[in-house]
Amino acid sequence: MLSTVTPVLIFLQAEVSRTSVAWERIQHPDLAKFLVFGALLFVIGVAGVLTRRNIIVIFMSIELILNAANLNFIAFARYLQETGNANAVAGQIFTVFIIVVAAAEAAIGLGIVIALYRNKETILLDQIDILKW
Amino acid sequence: MSLSGWEAVFFWVFAPAAIFAGLLTVMARNTVHSALFLISSLLSVAALFVLLGAEFIAGVQILVYVGGVMVLFLFVIMLVNVGSEERGDVSIFNGTRQVAAGLIFCLLLALTLLFAVNQGVEGLKARDRLKEETIQRTSNQNLEVAATGTARISKESEKLGSALYRYGSLAFEVASVLLLVAIIGSVMLARTIKQEAAADDVSPEVLLEESKYESELARFVSSETEAVRETNA
Repeated sequence: MLSTVTPVLIFLQAEVSRTSVAWERIQHPDLAKFLVFGALLFVIGVAGVLTRRNIIVIFMSIELILNAANLNFIAFARYLQETGNANAVAGQIFTVFIIVVAAAEAAIGLGIVIALYRNKETILLDQIDILKW
Repeated sequence: MSLSGWEAVFFWVFAPAAIFAGLLTVMARNTVHSALFLISSLLSVAALFVLLGAEFIAGVQILVYVGGVMVLFLFVIMLVNVGSEERGDVSIFNGTRQVAAGLIFCLLLALTLLFAVNQGVEGLKARDRLKEETIQRTSNQNLEVAATGTARISKESEKLGSALYRYGSLAFEVASVLLLVAIIGSVMLARTIKQEAAADDVSPEVLLEESKYESELARFVSSETEAVRETNA
């Protein structure tokens, strides 16, 4: 009797300790959680760029990608700050410049979209094929 | 680095919110809805920035992205005609094969990234374990943690500003030139023939002649490509 119950008990104990560890990790999100969410945002942006036809939505997906990079930079800046790195503000400086470049890129890109729409009367990318053989 | 208490709760509110809003941005049929979902995603990421102690970046994110870039996007959406997508006349995605290839690529990318994140963070933690322990021992542990980390609203912005002007001043100036170029370039790209004539002090007829010639050329090129396609097919 005891010999059959003991492994089950050990298994249950291991399970309980594992779930408590998982719960502990959920209660204390660390660098890895931020990086995982940044990676997911990045992949969603890439999926948008690859699958959508509307050029404006593709631009928005690019903004998503840049934001994922910003999230990573800020998470690493915080991590380095907490481990006492003197140069921890560098991540935030990079983020400022990424935001500047994203704003410039959006202005230019949307100007191109307007010019394209005036000439071709469409914003669907697969109909803009004048360079294609 | 780990958040605790209410910070963790806010993390688990805002991080999934950012992901879901990003997904809906990509999947929404109406482009205006896409833009609004992107705004909510950007706001959620700004909240995560606040949780991470980067208050200045969060403010810049809301002011520049939500207040500037997304308003620009909405203006352009209203200027161009996206009606055929909204009414459901045409598919919002590429052809099935392209979508399948893209999604497979994204899946592989996601798996690779998650693997790399796990590996890398383990390595990083192993490297910094000693440092972190000493810091935790030396820093006072009795601080109460506030809901949004405001107990830590700190000299972060001050540090960022001084570092920006001390170490990144050249890049700062280059960024300002870049913004100037972007302004002038977008004005140049988006103006009409009449505006072009007014700015260049040419009579509009000349430009109209030119544009007529150009459009005839374009028509000729497209008819030629049609002919080539037909012969190919």
